[in-house]
Order: sequence, then C-alpha cells, then structure tokens
Amino acid sequence: MSKTDNKKDVIIVGTGIAGSLIAKLLTDHVFDVEKGKMIHRADAKKSETIREISILMYEAGLEAGLELDSASSMTTYNEYMRTFYMQEAKVPNSPYPNLKQAPSPNVLDIEPIIPPFPDKKGYLVQFGPMPFASDAIRVGGGTTLHWLGTTPRMLPNDFRLTEKYGIEIDSPDSDQKTPINWPIDYNLLKPYYEMAEFEIGVSGDVSKQEYPISESMEQYYGDYVFPMEEIPQSYMDQKIIDGLTGTNVQLNFQTIPLLMVPSPQGRNSTPNPSYGKTRLIKAEALQSGYQLVLDRSEKEEYKALGAVWNPYMGERCEGNASCVPICPVQAKYNALKTLKKALYKMNDNENLQRNPYLEIKAQSVVYRLSVDENEAISKVHVRRYISKEKTDFVEEVIDTSDSIVILAANAFENPKILLNSKYTVIENGQKVEKIVANRSDQVGRNLMDHMVMLTWGLFPEPIYSYRGPGSTTNISSFRDGDFRSEFSAWISPLDNWGWSWPAFSPGSDVSEFLSEGLFGAALRDALTYRLSRQVLFHFEIEQLPNPNNRVTINDQYVDALGIPRPVVNYDLTDYEKRAMEQAKLASDQMFERLEIEDFTQYNASDNNTFVYNNVRYSYNGAGHIVGTHRMGFTPEDSVTNSYCKSWDHPNLYIVGAGNMTTLGTSNPTLTLSAFTIRSVESILTDLETQFKN
Amino acid sequence: MIIINKILNVDDYYFDVFMSISESLTGFSVNELQATGLAETYYTYILGHLDAATFVEFLTVSKNVFETSFTEDQLRNTIASEIMADPGMNDMAGKVVTMWYLGTWEGTYINDLSYKEGLVWNLMHAHPPGAKQPGFKSWSIKPVTTKS
Repeated sequence: MSKTDNKKDVIIVGTGIAGSLIAKLLTDHVFDVEKGKMIHRADAKKSETIREISILMYEAGLEAGLELDSASSMTTYNEYMRTFYMQEAKVPNSPYPNLKQAPSPNVLDIEPIIPPFPDKKGYLVQFGPMPFASDAIRVGGGTTLHWLGTTPRMLPNDFRLTEKYGIEIDSPDSDQKTPINWPIDYNLLKPYYEMAEFEIGVSGDVSKQEYPISESMEQYYGDYVFPMEEIPQSYMDQKIIDGLTGTNVQLNFQTIPLLMVPSPQGRNSTPNPSYGKTRLIKAEALQSGYQLVLDRSEKEEYKALGAVWNPYMGERCEGNASCVPICPVQAKYNALKTLKKALYKMNDNENLQRNPYLEIKAQSVVYRLSVDENEAISKVHVRRYISKEKTDFVEEVIDTSDSIVILAANAFENPKILLNSKYTVIENGQKVEKIVANRSDQVGRNLMDHMVMLTWGLFPEPIYSYRGPGSTTNISSFRDGDFRSEFSAWISPLDNWGWSWPAFSPGSDVSEFLSEGLFGAALRDALTYRLSRQVLFHFEIEQLPNPNNRVTINDQYVDALGIPRPVVNYDLTDYEKRAMEQAKLASDQMFERLEIEDFTQYNASDNNTFVYNNVRYSYNGAGHIVGTHRMGFTPEDSVTNSYCKSWDHPNLYIVGAGNMTTLGTSNPTLTLSAFTIRSVESILTDLETQFKN
Repeated sequence: MIIINKILNVDDYYFDVFMSISESLTGFSVNELQATGLAETYYTYILGHLDAATFVEFLTVSKNVFETSFTEDQLRNTIASEIMADPGMNDMAGKVVTMWYLGTWEGTYINDLSYKEGLVWNLMHAHPPGAKQPGFKSWSIKPVTTKS
C-alpha cells in the first residue's frame, strides 16, 4: 500500500464531461491571497500574490493518450478508429478498450432475464425483471466519446412534474409519496445552459426552435443565438417535413399538432457571426460566494474547436455519419476538448503550456471513501492496475481531510463507490453503521433511461438515408402537455441512418436478398431500392424516477480487481408503457400520411419487450443513464443539494447525470453540464474557506 | 508472401475466373471490383481460409458456367441453376458477394480497409460510416447518382 503525500486541494474522480468541466473551470481560477477571493486567471496581474488550485484527477480507463499531447492523443484516437473499422458489431462501445480491470456495460451483453436468476454475462449484474438497456464507457473523456451530440435544453415543466401534473412517486420502502420537483427551475438554470452551450460548442438556430410550452420562445431563450449556425437538416428530413408540416396526430383524447424542429447539436458548423466574440466563464465574487458569468470582454472571434491533437482538423462536421460510436475528426464535441483546456493554459507568449497544478492518474479505479469523526471524507481508496493486460494492482490511499472530493463518474459508478463506502459513528453511545452520502437512502435509486421505441419502414420514394449526423431534426410536439399526468412525454428524433439500429442494415438486407437467391443486377437493384428508402422514427420516452429501479452492490459479485459490480433491479410502469402505446399510435398515423410501408417488428425474443393492452412493444436503451444520486430540497429527499454537494459531508460533491431528479425528454448531457458548471460556484466558495484557514 | 504470389502466378486463370464470377454475382464490373484495391487480397484470403478443394470446385463450376454460356441471359440462367440452386455453391456465392458488398468473410472484416471498400454503400448513394466523408452539408441535398 502506498500513500501519496503531496496534498491536493481538489480530487476529481472521472475525466468525463462533468469532471472535465469542473477541472477546466477550477484551473481557470486562482486564489488572490491579498483579496482573499477567487479570481479568473485572466484578471490575475503578475505582481499579485496568487495561489493556484491544485487538482488530482483519477481515471479508471487506460493511461495512453490522456496527457492530450498531440502525438499520443492522435495515436490513441487512431487506434480507436482502427478498432472501429475492424469490429463486426459497430455498437457504441466498439471502438474503445474493453477492460477487465475497469469493465463497462455493453449493449451486446444484454439479454432477457428469467427471474429469479440474474443475467451476469456482462459487467452489470441484472436482476430485472426488465434488463437495463444502455451502455457507457470507462475511458478518458468518458461516454461523450460515443454520445450522439444532440443538445436540447429541458423544458420548464420538466423541472416541476409534481407541481404541474401532480405526479408523485413512492418513497423508498414506505407507502409515503414523494414529490419529484427539481430544487432548481428552468430560469435559474438558463445562464448555465448558455455556458454549457458555449463550452460544448452548440450549433443550432434559436429562431427555428418550437416547443409545446406556454412560455414564449422569447422567454425561453431570451435574446440569444447559439455559438454556431444550424447543422443542415438531411434530405430525408426535408421529405418528411414536407409531408407532415401543418398536420396533427390524434392521441387518445387529444389532438397534437406536429412541430418539426432542427435539433441543436454539439458538433461544429460555421460560427454564427451574431454570436461574435468568444467568451470566458468567469466567477464574480458576491457578498458571500460566487456567481459564474459568461464574460464577453474577449477580443477574439468565436471559433469552432477541432480535434484535440490538431485544432485545424474537424472545424466543421464533415458528414462522416458515425457520430455514434466515434467521430473520426472530432468535429463532434467530446470531453477531451474541455479536459485539454484544463491541462494546457496559455503562457505569456500565448503558447499552450502544460498546467503543472493538474495531475491525471489513469488506470486508477476509485472504489471506496473513508470518513473521519467530523463526517468529512478523509481518504480516497484507489486500485491502480499496472497494464492493459494484467489484473495486478497497487493499492493506493490518498488523504483528503483538507481536500474537496468530487465524484464525477457515471450514474452506475458514482453510487457504486458510495455504497461501497461504509463507516461507523457513535450516536447516543451506540455504534451506528452508515453509508457515505446516503442519509436519504436514495443513493443508487431512481435509475432512469429513455426507452427508445423504434418504428421503421420504406418511404415511397428514395430519401437517401445513411448520410449526415445521426439525427438533424426532431418532432418536439410530445415533449410537454396535459397528458403527462397520465403517461410519459417523449421526443421523436428522425434518424438519418436507415434501419441500421433496429435491423442491422445494410448487412441484414444483403443476407435477406441473398437468401432469396438474388444475384447480379437483380441483387443490386433490390438493395438500391430498399436501402435508399429506409426511414427510422424514434420515440424517446421519459421514465419517471422509481425507488425500486436501483443500483446496489453485493459481495457475491465483484470484478477482476475485487471491486463490486453494479447490481441492477429495473422495471417499467404503466406510465411508460402507456406512452409507448400512444407513441405507436402517433407513428402509425405519421407513416400512413407519408405512405411509408411499415416494416416494424416487435418479437417476444427481443431483449426489452412487453405486452400492454394485448399489443407487444419493444424498445432499446438511449444511453441516458441518470438519477442514481438525485439532487433535491432536503437531506431526507435527496443525495445532494442543487449544487451537487452531498448533504452529509462537508467536502464531498457528487456530480454527473446521476444528479438529475427527473429525466424530461432532453438528451441529458447538456443539462448535466449546466448544473455541473453551476456546482463550481459552491466549490469555489468552499475552496475560499479552505484557503483562508 | 512468396508462396501466395506463387499461387497467384500459377493460378492466374483461376483468379480471372474469380473476378468474372464476382462480376456476375455482385452486379459490379470487374473494373469496379478492381477499384476497391482489394481484389487480390480477397482472392488470397479465401485461398488461405478455405479448404482448397472447396474453392477450386467453386471456381471450376464457375469456369464451366462461363464456358457454356454465350449470352447474358444464358449466363444468368446457368448461374441460377448451377450455382444458386446448389446448396454448397450457393453458400460460396453468398460469401463471395458478402465479401465484396460488406468487406466481411464469415462475419469478420478481412482488414481495416475492407469495411471502407464495401460496395453496398455505393448502392445506396452513401459512404461507409466513419470513412470517405462527403463533406459539410452534403447530406442535405440529393446525392450524386452517377453509376461509377
């Protein structure tokens, strides 16, 4: 066992988007010793006595390329590309190392569960009864390496489902009902959405956004443009828009007009001249505490940020059409871009220089936290494995009594670490065993994902799918409405990549026609006809928090390093099932109007399938793994406050998708980025106190 | 390498048969097949991964098909009866077409080029995802549809 002696002010677990955002924003600020305040690096004069914030980041994935110097980051990323080309099943995790020392959930491991026996095939131990259907990847930069990059904001009512629609959920193990309003609302989060859109680099057209909300777009966005102009909608989108604009869909008891909206996306297009100059996310000192603002005093024009190894590559989306699982030119945002801004700072000669106050330790799996008598996190326990091949590891402990600890892993790993961190306190002369950050008993609960119901068919004329980013348009009509008291809201992206997701096209089409005996010109013609007409509709259905959908740990199930694997219990309720029924109604009506020949098929052998009102529905995961350390109003109803700070420990933050109180109908990355950025205000305040003592 | 080249030299005729039957089965001209840059790689890959007798039988049957067919219609009918209707030959034909169309042999990519050179993407007027990127905004208009 080794002990690290050089103390760090902040320990961050995870280099995904949450950890990288915090590292970037903290390293952009320094402590002005004279004023006793945190100030932005840009405002620090040379003569001033400043103190840097020292940070240590842990990453469970491999070390290769994580220093983000040009040579090693390019070599590492090119290796991902080579792997992608060679993988038969090009699933989201396929380009990235599949590590036995830091395993990841993989969609290829999912299979139907026959209770009471769990599915233990992959990393997750799944008790079901419904398999959890999404994956994530433990690699430098996290799952943003294979996210699609769609970045809608949440809608105002998403934050207040109880207040607006009367929805309450069960409390853990009791008959009591719990409200599911967020402790923050849309208006409060709005400036942080703008900061997240700046940092990610969002392309989109504010004036074309149209949502079924009572607020005007003026109220929703204000006087605002996205940093970059809209990513062009696909030829297919335009054909579908032509056929559906101005029409309605009839759900049970409700007629809903179809709104076809170009999706805001975290991929590079042309910088918007109206956005103008680039920005700084800067902390302004308040009477007590800090407020982050999007400072406009920079003189440089806003520029699209390309690949981490070469900024002159990937300045525009080039139409690789492989956003999931990997963008070859990094025109799609990934968290390595933000991490690089933390690792390298501009020196006096305006050259990038390695920031010596940030250290990244990779191949380091954090698995437990210790707590001292003041309930502060006193130690972080790490197992650092030696090589990609071997499972030998070194046990490391770092003293964190005077540090701030930030868990910024995904919504499986954060609760896993917490649940594995037990400690004993004496209360009223009695020994009481506790779990870190779990006074509310909410750690690991409320696991959620969007249920993606897919419908597919053949368009009456060629629409030439398989081109462009995964999705460039969405139907926003069902994202909010009175129906939410009865069933889930959903968003409907139009998918540009044919039937590749539900039917493994084009491979399946080739084998189908071959098995029919087609060859030569007849085979060519059949494939051309089929593949140029394939359309895929996509219904991302909001799942409500449910305390019994949860991640737990169990000594019986450990990984190669002896660290507990996430044990998952998971199911759907009628609220979501009914939404799928309604979404299918909507799909049928849209297919009929567009004269799409329906090829949708749901089978009893599908991994995620159920029968509702005598009709079978199947769905996929969306990769939107959220909710397992929810934020809330009180230590009793939640794991963290609205700044992602644990209610139970003075120096612990838990950030990431797990903080989401509810899921809404947005892809969660933008929202988690917004509230993660906001959490930095609280972290800076704590650091100020720490530095003054 | 030396041995493979030797086989190629000795069996040049069979290589031509392989290309001709590939043309008839895929519907892509020998010229288009050659343009993948993978014709010899595919041929030697099959030689290395298949019982030689099986491949030789397939090529011999193919050779006979060409020798007994004098028109396009005849050729199509003979392929249908001699190859597609015969379970063993049909299996080989399917594998050969799949190799050209998708770049895989029994589910495995031949090399990291074969995915990119799959011909199926041309059929749908697109490109293999992650390679041969057509450029910004190209996806928003009707694609180029010339044949070669």
